Amino acid sequence: MPPKIGVYLCHCYGEIGKILDLEKLSQQAGKWRGVAASIHYPGLCSADGLEIIAEDVRQGRVDRVVVGACSPAVHRDTFLRLARQVGLNEHFLERCNLREQCTRAHRDQPALAMAKARNLLKMAVGRLSPAESFEPVSSSTSRSVLVVGGGIAGLTAAENLARAGVNVTLVEKSPFLGGKVARLHRYYPRFCSPRCGLEVLMARLLATGRVTVHTLTEVTGVRGTAGNFTVELLKQPRYVKDACTGCGACLEVCPVEVAPSAALPPGRQRAIEGPGLFPYPLNYAVNRVFCRGKSCSRCVEVCPAGAIDLDQEEDRLSIGVDAIILAAGWEPYDAGRINNYGYGRLPGVITSMDLEVLARPDGPTGGQLIRSHDKKPVRRVAFIQCAGSRDKQHLAYCSGVCCAATLKQIDYVRAVAPGAGIFVFYMDIRTPGNLEELYRRAREEHGAVFIRGNPYAVEWDPVAEELVVTADDTLSGSRIAVRAELVVLATGMVPCAVPAFERLEKDTTGFITGHLPCSPMEVRRAGIYVAGCAQEPMDVSTSVKSALAAAAECLATIQNQSVVVPPVVERHKCDRCGRCVEECPYGACSFDTDGYPAVNPPACRGCGICQGGCPLRCIYLPGFSSREMAGLIEAVDTGSMDEQPCVLAFLCANDAYPALDLAGTRGNSYGANILTVRVPCAGAVNAGWINDALLSGIDGVLVVGCRTTECHYGRGTSLAESRVNNLRETLQRMLVEPERVQVLTAGIEDGQSLVAAIKRFVKQLQELGPNPFKE
Amino acid sequence: MPPKVNLQKCDGCRAESEALCVQICPGDLMALDENNGKAYCRSARDCWDCMSCVKACPNGAIETRLPYQLGYYPAKLIPLVGSNKISWTVVDIHGKVERFTFKNRND
Repeated sequence: MPPKIGVYLCHCYGEIGKILDLEKLSQQAGKWRGVAASIHYPGLCSADGLEIIAEDVRQGRVDRVVVGACSPAVHRDTFLRLARQVGLNEHFLERCNLREQCTRAHRDQPALAMAKARNLLKMAVGRLSPAESFEPVSSSTSRSVLVVGGGIAGLTAAENLARAGVNVTLVEKSPFLGGKVARLHRYYPRFCSPRCGLEVLMARLLATGRVTVHTLTEVTGVRGTAGNFTVELLKQPRYVKDACTGCGACLEVCPVEVAPSAALPPGRQRAIEGPGLFPYPLNYAVNRVFCRGKSCSRCVEVCPAGAIDLDQEEDRLSIGVDAIILAAGWEPYDAGRINNYGYGRLPGVITSMDLEVLARPDGPTGGQLIRSHDKKPVRRVAFIQCAGSRDKQHLAYCSGVCCAATLKQIDYVRAVAPGAGIFVFYMDIRTPGNLEELYRRAREEHGAVFIRGNPYAVEWDPVAEELVVTADDTLSGSRIAVRAELVVLATGMVPCAVPAFERLEKDTTGFITGHLPCSPMEVRRAGIYVAGCAQEPMDVSTSVKSALAAAAECLATIQNQSVVVPPVVERHKCDRCGRCVEECPYGACSFDTDGYPAVNPPACRGCGICQGGCPLRCIYLPGFSSREMAGLIEAVDTGSMDEQPCVLAFLCANDAYPALDLAGTRGNSYGANILTVRVPCAGAVNAGWINDALLSGIDGVLVVGCRTTECHYGRGTSLAESRVNNLRETLQRMLVEPERVQVLTAGIEDGQSLVAAIKRFVKQLQELGPNPFKE
Repeated sequence: MPPKVNLQKCDGCRAESEALCVQICPGDLMALDENNGKAYCRSARDCWDCMSCVKACPNGAIETRLPYQLGYYPAKLIPLVGSNKISWTVVDIHGKVERFTFKNRND
């Protein structure tokens, strides 16, 4: 059945109508092939205007609609809602930009504006004639999420997802949940015990009954995409069965003492570990790195429940989930690598995480600050800020939390040693927001001495049996030596490495983060979200916030409300070269069981990078099939430009298209010979379209994308550049000037410079003369 | 004269199953080099100069050198393939350029 296209032109209450002769245009359009109705109206977006279109569709007079009015960025939902109301497929509604990119931009050349409007309308009709309808794809999913990491971020995300009715699998590589937060003594700003918050969280999490917890488990492999991940888990043996009652009899007999860290004395910690103050899970666990094994077996003998089994073996399991939240957390930077501070060599040099353990009532010294070698109380404490941070040799970045953590720890020191001297060596104290109050309190109430200078050495004075910290005080310009019994190194945060996720894109500091600032939680593999310190260094409250954000974004995906219509694969043309699978920035495209590429709807973001790279043009977004694009390009009347070169510009819908809209609105005129096509991303432009344009006699083709670093889909612009460069080389061999095809970049506010670049391009084309393919 | 592959531009169609030139060659002459994953013509004498591979290559990496009976270098014959058009650029030995554009159906 031939298409019945309706062309509806809008006067925009005079703005379009006073420059374009819509009556004439409408008459001309009515004679084009496939056009069944052609109407102009003062304001199509008004209720009456919409009703005209709706009535025509309902009566069956038209089945495809071209709206020649404002930019598609304006009144977007007005017309989409209309299409849904009357049951018109969304892809049968084509917007034609007669205002921003025609009458506003060319108000001084009405004749040329008229020619451009005719061309734009013809292109829209040409594209719509061969268009096919697409039904929105939806697939049902069982809604389950894997959370990697049982720290505060992982627990928060798991708890919120579970409360929203999602089945959650929580994986933690250590024997106990709680992560780094469970090891802290207090957290700021309230100075409450973290165990309190964790308990509440854990109780709510367990109450949902939807969370499966795997401790001592690591992710070894991830396959699939959003809505369809298969995750391989490796579960290390715990050597203690669920019968464990947590009585602690094993701890009493275990002969192997384990120090909490390189700088701390062994306390009550043994090779068999209890859950500490935050008891989840309650079962003890044997650390086989230290355990002497079956030759000792004292714990096995003494256990009243008979729960210890040193023969347990590792277990592998594979689970299917819809989405993954990566909350693998952080490790303190290895202080032993900062040679001049003597960590691990000098007694009394500890890190801030060590001080947390030391300050805890269940720590090796029972919460007292005493010297490890002679058990005397500590009288002078020195804190060294930025130990290894903001230093190119170690961590180039600021971890952002160490300043506040030290100020908090000054509180600890004051609580147990009211008379102790406290010295803080710092480069800059960074306490944004209300944390400034901590800084004020440390100086004014606790009497801590702040010395601005990065110490160059910590040495041991064997005579006085003290540590000596030497630094240049950069404020007074003098050299300072501070004697102390305890030196606390405020080391920075390093992301935990999870080998299964090594291939995810990282920022320059090694943290895994999404597109900043637009979608920070979703990494560039659809369906994987990042929360907590896996994303960037952050404190506890920020971790909780990020976990909530990740849970919210994750929910939106797994609720299966797809916002884009994924591309279609024409199997009879496809030769399975795998470019689309390779180039999809979201991993949404994969080979299905028949060996053909298939797109996973929840993972697809509709960038069209697959269609840009397809050599056979057999994968395409609705509206971009080779028939539609050929129809659009052939509709261009290259002879109507009044001696001006005819230019076809593919504009990225994110930045370039609105930038040109803005330029038109501001009255930056750029010649009516620029015909624009809106594409989802510069990477969606197929080289075949450019060939088509050149073969149809179009003098020059522009591909305008976002700036390379700003592309919403990562590599869109750079892919477009490499594809176009390839084509340009071929053109050169054919003795066609390669300058006829260019890639430009523009930010959303760069309308003016984009117009200037377009003018330069047109000038260049004028010098080159007409397209050699023109007959 | 056989097709000449520009190794800089050829990506072996990502070495996924068969490259496009390998699939299309009617004489089954194109193959992927196992060492570098790039395409090459494995039997130059058998090539008929049908130029199917040149048209199929998505990267424009293949060039056919004309046989001497037709024209010495720099004579060239280069296609540009659109959705429903193909254009042939013919350069003769004097450097004179002619272009022929035809309608066809590729969709």
